[in-house]
Amino acid sequence: MSKPHYDREHHAKMATGIGDPQCFAGKAPDPKFKVGDRVRVRDLPDIFYTRTQVYTRGCEAVVAELVYESPPAEDESWDNTENVEWFYSLVFKATDLWPDYHKTFSKDTIETEIPEHYLEAV
Amino acid sequence: MAEINPDFIKLDEEMSSRELDTSPIDLLEQIKREGRVWEELSEEYGVENPDPPWRINLESTCDQLANGYLSPFNICRPAEQQEEPDDKKIDAIERRWEEDQLVSELYSDVPFPERTLLALAHTMIRRGILSEEELAVQMKKVSDRLNMNDGVYEDEARSSVELAKAENQ
Amino acid sequence: MSDIKDDHQHPPAAMVDEVSEFEILELAVRELAIEKGLFTQEDHNQWTEYMHTLGPAPAARLVAKAWLDPEYKELAVKDGVKASLDVGIDWVNSMPTHFGTPSDYCNLRVMEDTPTLKHVVVCTLCSCYPRPILGQSPEWYRTPNYRRRIVRWPRQVLAEMGLQLPEDVEVRVVDSNQKSRMIVLPVRPEGTEGWTEDQLAEIVTRDCLIGVAMPKPGVTTNGPRPVRKAVNPYHH
Repeated sequence: MSKPHYDREHHAKMATGIGDPQCFAGKAPDPKFKVGDRVRVRDLPDIFYTRTQVYTRGCEAVVAELVYESPPAEDESWDNTENVEWFYSLVFKATDLWPDYHKTFSKDTIETEIPEHYLEAV
Repeated sequence: MAEINPDFIKLDEEMSSRELDTSPIDLLEQIKREGRVWEELSEEYGVENPDPPWRINLESTCDQLANGYLSPFNICRPAEQQEEPDDKKIDAIERRWEEDQLVSELYSDVPFPERTLLALAHTMIRRGILSEEELAVQMKKVSDRLNMNDGVYEDEARSSVELAKAENQ
Repeated sequence: MSDIKDDHQHPPAAMVDEVSEFEILELAVRELAIEKGLFTQEDHNQWTEYMHTLGPAPAARLVAKAWLDPEYKELAVKDGVKASLDVGIDWVNSMPTHFGTPSDYCNLRVMEDTPTLKHVVVCTLCSCYPRPILGQSPEWYRTPNYRRRIVRWPRQVLAEMGLQLPEDVEVRVVDSNQKSRMIVLPVRPEGTEGWTEDQLAEIVTRDCLIGVAMPKPGVTTNGPRPVRKAVNPYHH
């Protein structure tokens, strides 16, 4: 790998007056999933830095909202802002995530945001 | 999804094997022992403000250090790929992780925001951003300056709240 | 200084008359960082000034307005950034950077509670918080104790904070792990009929906006929250 060259002004130039993540709007390919779809979180290898929580890996969820387009944090932390993808807000059942979560409270859920490349259809 | 760069995988292994050095730092241990925390001071002087006047300055410093989208894991890269030494930012999430660990091991009896301050200083020293000696020297300079002025002084970085109190005196 | 009452009976404001080692440490760290070129004094001042303007009042007002105006409520839920403008908060442009802060970004999501859905917000990864509209996060919110336990045992943690919910209410823990920042839009409580926006905003405390409390007539302050150590040793 050659020494990376970082344009420190890049983000400011592109996002000033527009905001982040707004500056990435329209840059992602068509979303793979829509509201109501059932998806599963892939357990991808983490290279240093991930915002996809360990507790979600391998678990199924329902898409609640398509929230915004952005490079995933995993790429952004390496200054790679080319791969813009859709981010989804997913709702997981607590009883799916935690085996000993009491069935009395089986309605309880967790909602969190995950980028598309971590998701596969169920 | 693109292929994972094999160089990244190697760096990842290096990173996972890297243990956070939580050994105590003498200067910080001394401050921990001898420094008076705001909880104590505010009670003694009857000040109602729940936060010390420097709290927001500390938050600002943390934000300024995170103010870069670039190279959060610089320290783990091979030497030829590291950024120039004068660009030592600390990614917010890394700083928080280190803070969590340091507080748990060394500073759990210290209240907020003093614990965040100690953890930040600790992180900066261990990462080689500043040295314990430099910090001690700077503290002496600051202390001389502050104590000479009896607590009322012109530092543009002081919060306007503190300046207002000073004017009220 | 024109808003300080010039009352001769008013005693001078209490002041801490000594300099602590921590105060010195904070300054020393900052000054060394500036000396080493990590950031400039000007940037730091600008940021500090901006941070001083932040607090929970705008978020409380957003909720009060939403309670009074169904159209505004719809806007708040659909586009939190746009709705924020109506309470004087510009997530994009009022930041010194003019493109949002690196830690807060520009995507406020207003999570609407219903009688059968209660949201509570956390950032398990590091304690991200909607600072531009809610101010600084409280200490307990930042602790591993809260962050780790609220996703795992939400009802227990809420009960410790004085909030118990019936089993037919869905407790939804919202983990703000990416660029969105969330506030909770609680259900408007009984006993507030005919109230003004000001009166309503007063009972929407910071704890209600995080989701660990529910607004109640007569309750205008946050509950006491001792900071507790997490029991399990820390590891990723």
